[in-house]
Amino acid sequence: MTAAMYESGPAAPGAARLPRLLPASPEGLHAHLGRYGPLPYRGEAGLLIDDVAAAGLTGRGGAAFPVARKLDAIARARGRRKVIVANGAESEPASRKDELLLRLAPNLVLDGLQLAAEAAGATEAHLYLHGTRPEILRALSERAARQLDRTSVSITEAPPRFLAGQETALVSRIGGGPALPTFQPPRVTERGLGGVPTLVQNVETLAHLALIARYGPRWFRSAGTAAEPGSMIATVYRPGAKPYVVETELGAPLAEILGAGPEVQAWLVGGYHGSWLRLPEAAGLNLSNESLRPAGAAVGAGVLVALPASRCGLAETARVVRYLAAESAGQCGPCLNGLPRIATALAELAGPRPRRQARDDVERWAGLVTGRGACHHPDGTARFVRSALTVFAPELARHANGHCSATRAGPREPFLPLPASLPTREEDWI
Amino acid sequence: MTSATAFWYASRATGIVALLLLTAVLVLGMLVNRQGRLPGLPRFAVGDLHRNLSLLSVAFIAVHVLTAVLDTYVSIPLVSAIVPFGSGYERLWLGLGAISFDLMLAMIITSLVRGRLNRILWRAIHLLAYLTWPVAFVHSIGAAKDLQQGWLLGLTIGCALVTGAATAWRLAGAARQVPRAARVAHVFARHDATTRNQDPRQTRQTVSR
Repeated sequence: MTAAMYESGPAAPGAARLPRLLPASPEGLHAHLGRYGPLPYRGEAGLLIDDVAAAGLTGRGGAAFPVARKLDAIARARGRRKVIVANGAESEPASRKDELLLRLAPNLVLDGLQLAAEAAGATEAHLYLHGTRPEILRALSERAARQLDRTSVSITEAPPRFLAGQETALVSRIGGGPALPTFQPPRVTERGLGGVPTLVQNVETLAHLALIARYGPRWFRSAGTAAEPGSMIATVYRPGAKPYVVETELGAPLAEILGAGPEVQAWLVGGYHGSWLRLPEAAGLNLSNESLRPAGAAVGAGVLVALPASRCGLAETARVVRYLAAESAGQCGPCLNGLPRIATALAELAGPRPRRQARDDVERWAGLVTGRGACHHPDGTARFVRSALTVFAPELARHANGHCSATRAGPREPFLPLPASLPTREEDWI
Repeated sequence: MTSATAFWYASRATGIVALLLLTAVLVLGMLVNRQGRLPGLPRFAVGDLHRNLSLLSVAFIAVHVLTAVLDTYVSIPLVSAIVPFGSGYERLWLGLGAISFDLMLAMIITSLVRGRLNRILWRAIHLLAYLTWPVAFVHSIGAAKDLQQGWLLGLTIGCALVTGAATAWRLAGAARQVPRAARVAHVFARHDATTRNQDPRQTRQTVSR
């Protein structure tokens, strides 16, 4: 991707013990081993899994699935061949945390990949990335020179598609096919790449795992909450600031990360499959699923947005939903037909004096597409859309009268980032 | 009709209704596959109708089989409903009926557990519909002499014509299918043409980062 790299942001809440993952500048193998010490291989499959379970590590790619359960499933699976994939294809356009992690601490990710491979009994390891980063190639060759890696690692490039990082799409792409989601079952943990048990973990998850292997579960739990321990890396968008990446404790107050003053009208948590939250009602919520769940939101992959009061939340949502609809793989009818329909009606709601029934149409169609795809693209998009209808209800009323929050201050560049190109040809998924 | 012939007539009647239902289910299935619509119904209703009519046709076939077995004029063992060619009476025609019934059960059972099933397996079994209908059709005209004359013959020919036309439409649709990569743009073009979309800010799809 050509976009400018985001940098680490200001110190996060609870920063005394942080950051754990992000050094100030890119760290080569020598500096990395100096800081963290050698790779603590356990010498046998399965041994690390108890530590990961005790640490309570969950996937940082968005789904927050317990890592130990997946490791265990692969370790117990029959068969000689097993595969592990480090997923760095952060396909959420607003997220830059994996990109920064791979630039600053490639060796931590590769440590995690090796240790998880050993724990799960994987016989081959893959890296799935948007473009091959020079830091990664350098790290791999330095590690090869010192014979650090016990499982051989190959790199596959992910196409710049929103769904490219989805687990089944990833398996299809690494297997030589297009990065398109496929129906489950079979689950990739049972029959993934080449039909063998496949473990897919986000790169940040593997970096955490590399530290748990060194410092143990108690150390890991010294940050975060009891239910959701540890830290996570978030990408933060605030009014009047350049977007930045920050490592923060789970359970940190969102108001400290995003601000809840009069310059902010709403928060978006969890990215473009996430939820808008209304202020000031949401001002007391924390960055944890436990806190966000009752509000209908989830931490996701850690995209956190504070929408400036001077922007139109409906216009921002409509633009993103049009993008999401265009990124549909076009395989499942409800997604293929439903999302463009929702996007078109939302565009009408974002304009002046929309038809009265447009809002009800969007609400109804969002209900109809939910749960009807091979992947969760329709579900996530519907969640995002519904939260916008609720949170931006006052804006809907303004538009009905021909007014808009954004026009008061004149036209502006959109606040939420979107990629420059949309898919049009079959090759765009390869 | 006397009480002695009630079962016989009931079996005939439910068989004819089942043939009509199966024809409708097959055509609706093709409509679902091509993402077609029925006038006055939302798109998803086609799928629901397809499913409900297929369950209804199984109910009719169950009555059709039971009444034929209970009828004492000819002796048909109950197992011959499932086991092909298990009946001494009209061995060939009833055997075909059993085959089509078995195929139907396979499709319905795999569809009921579709969420837990490998998609390719489900689809392969569901494609048996194109075998099931002709087998059931041949069973009908072979076993029921009354379908071979009068207005019932017209009805039977009608079913065959509808099925043939729908199959031709299905194959033609598959031939001029929009390539997957172009489908979303195709749908957008349709919607943008039919809805007002005046705000120029909204027609800009992408903004560089």
